[in-house]
Amino acid sequence: MWWAGAWNKTSLLCISVPLLTSFTNHNIFCLLSAVALHSETMAKDMTLLWASGSPPCWRVMIMLEEKQLQGYNQKLLSFEKKEHKSQEVLDMNPRGQIPTFKCGKHILNESCAACLFLENQYKSQGTKLIPDFPDAQALMYQRMFEAVTLHQKIADLVVYKYFVPEGERHDSAVQRKIEALTAELKLWEGYLKITDCCLAGQEFTLADVLFFPLIAFLFHFGLSSERYPALAKYYNSLKDRPSIKATWPPYWQKIPEMDTMKPI
Amino acid sequence: MAKDMTLLWGSGSAPCWRVMIMLEEKQLQGYNQKLLSFEKMEHKSQEVLDMNPRGQLPAFKCGKHILNESYAACFFLENQYKSQGTKLIPDSPDAQALMYQRLFEAVPLYQKIVEIVLYNYRVPEGERHDSAVQRNKEGLTAELKLWEGYLNKTDCCLAGKEFTLADVLFFPNVAFLFRLGLSSERYPALTKYYNGLKDRPSIKATWPPHWQTTPGPGIMNTV
Repeated sequence: MWWAGAWNKTSLLCISVPLLTSFTNHNIFCLLSAVALHSETMAKDMTLLWASGSPPCWRVMIMLEEKQLQGYNQKLLSFEKKEHKSQEVLDMNPRGQIPTFKCGKHILNESCAACLFLENQYKSQGTKLIPDFPDAQALMYQRMFEAVTLHQKIADLVVYKYFVPEGERHDSAVQRKIEALTAELKLWEGYLKITDCCLAGQEFTLADVLFFPLIAFLFHFGLSSERYPALAKYYNSLKDRPSIKATWPPYWQKIPEMDTMKPI
Repeated sequence: MAKDMTLLWGSGSAPCWRVMIMLEEKQLQGYNQKLLSFEKMEHKSQEVLDMNPRGQLPAFKCGKHILNESYAACFFLENQYKSQGTKLIPDSPDAQALMYQRLFEAVPLYQKIVEIVLYNYRVPEGERHDSAVQRNKEGLTAELKLWEGYLNKTDCCLAGKEFTLADVLFFPNVAFLFRLGLSSERYPALTKYYNGLKDRPSIKATWPPHWQTTPGPGIMNTV
């Protein structure tokens, strides 16, 4: 939606220029109303199919809040009832996964894709989530993509019993996955100790949008604050951020037969 | 600028290749580079660990910025060198949205390839099962079917007519598959994509050196 950005720039110009010329108050009011209506219309062209407690879904929801795109169409689905494999989802996402996100006519089912696209399309709206300053930007990108690895290691452990048939399961394999996740979290403890409140420094960025839901997931399922003080500090400082609070999972999925994150 | 960059890489590694294609596309030739050997475990050397505590390649330093994740390096380079070389993130929202969607879908594709290729490295002998190997193969087959579908509906490149960041990140995965014996008959759209891009200058210039001299193992023959 290239014209969204153009419209916002135009609206800014139309607010400042009239102060210097003889634009009437009425015209300014109309422009401001049009901008407000325009943003609502945009969100109304968006549809999100999501499940409660799913970090990828949560990322997109945080993003939509940060970019002031509230009012989008949304439908809460249930993993337990296998609604992620319903025709409704498959029509939008042949992988039968959620989130499934439609932004106008664009389909963006990968949470990172949705977030990057929204940031690009709504650069001048809401929070600026990709910093211009190269130091912060480089760190943001690096951490963002390391978060993909973290997500994988969590998923490896969490869906083990779901995806691996009983005859193929080994305690030694579970142990290895626990060790891998522990080593991964140790890295993140290190990263968080050398940064400010957020992953890329003092500012909340796209890296935090993508990373925070994973951390919230871990703590919900019993990750130890004593063993991971830097992660706990990060979690506590961001959990009340408006975009995060507003989209907090209404309930958390029970992980089938899975022990909690306590052994990590 | 390129002279302030350093890349530690391994031949045939798709993530390394992505960064190298990117550097060519952005006209950043002349960077410092060192070819390391996975077989000799050089990716676990102190030199790598100093740049990348994960002991993985690529390890990439762009001035003072460390960007070891290939996607991170590529995004950062595109952002910093927007007006230099090929424009790799299109402005058109249609192409841009499709580009982002495909480049992130390329992540599970690569994961499924690696799961098969590194099975014996990652899984101790006592834990291996033929049924698991079979499941991994079926997983990749289903994944490749999706990509055949995507490529049948697009032009020469993933996001349409223009070569974009999605292709920089995806092409090495495809080349890797064909190197490992993926069947052209079973995957005509992937083959067409591969043939359409393998002579692109940035790709040709950075083709894995040992692929030109030794044949690959036929791991993907039956996928």
